[in-house]
Amino acid sequence: MARSALKSYIYGIRKAVPVFFGFLPVAITFAILATSAGMSGMETAAMSVFVFAGASQIMAVQMISAGAGAFSIILATFVLNLRHLIMSTCVFRRVKIKNFFLKLISALSVTDEGFALITTEDEENCTPPFVLGVITLTYLSWVCGTVVGVVASNILPKIIADSFGIALYALFLALIVPDVKRNARLFVTVILTALINSVLIYLVKLDSSWSIIISTLVGAAIGTFVVKDEDEPDSTEEQTAEGQEVAEL
Amino acid sequence: MNVYLLILGMMLVTYIPRVLPAFIVDKLKFGKRFGKFINMIPYTAMTALIFPGILQTDAEHWYIGAVGGIVAIILACFKKIPSAVIVMASVLSVMAVYWVI
Repeated sequence: MARSALKSYIYGIRKAVPVFFGFLPVAITFAILATSAGMSGMETAAMSVFVFAGASQIMAVQMISAGAGAFSIILATFVLNLRHLIMSTCVFRRVKIKNFFLKLISALSVTDEGFALITTEDEENCTPPFVLGVITLTYLSWVCGTVVGVVASNILPKIIADSFGIALYALFLALIVPDVKRNARLFVTVILTALINSVLIYLVKLDSSWSIIISTLVGAAIGTFVVKDEDEPDSTEEQTAEGQEVAEL
Repeated sequence: MNVYLLILGMMLVTYIPRVLPAFIVDKLKFGKRFGKFINMIPYTAMTALIFPGILQTDAEHWYIGAVGGIVAIILACFKKIPSAVIVMASVLSVMAVYWVI
């Protein structure tokens, strides 16, 4: 069932609505931290426009407050964002894009949240307009949220701002639980991944930017052995697109 | 420190890992097992992003994240509930806990 380009674009925007709720408070938090770290409103907004990476930006302003130099901040950003190399591979394997400039723009979809939306969407829906729709709302929420934070830093009562801290976690859970629930072996893989990540963070005392990369890769490697081929293509309803893809490999 | 130079540097190290695969993914031949590996990554990456980070949603109270997470998991087990609704329900449950404590 092919959709028209405009319909796909709007569908992408609609799919990204939960990210809007998640990004807005994070962007406002970032703006508050940035201005209290001494950055001007212009610099704060520019960072969101050009970097577009929530965790890195918050880490950067915290490092600025702690007196860190530019080089160490850039290095830390690089390490923190290395995971996007893996996520981008998944996204571009799923969404077939030939046009050079479209590739350059589509790379902006590779935030943790954009990746989550695109890789859990039925493959037949993963068209370039869909990706552009996802980018439109995620990018606008991030930039607008930052501007709102700069202009009116105490616009949100603390209890509301704190409560929205759960939003992006809830979104990730909403995206993976339906598939994991139907597949006991996938469930085992996911639990093992969470366990590995916890051990790396709490016992090995590894920085979470590294532990996320390592547990993602190790977990996926375990998954290739644990999850049966005939399990993975969920034969039930809307998961058939994924199933066909696996069958073709 | 020149903040704009910092922004330029951060932009480069953020954008390059995002865009690089767009130009090499076509050139890679994916074997059956590697394809399966790539298909596993959304689940394992999201899991690694969720846990144990969710317990740090509130730096002082680990159960804040636990409550919001459990609400999201339970609602996600029902079909046909849009993810935006799940997210808002989870946020409201956390708000309720903050209200009580």
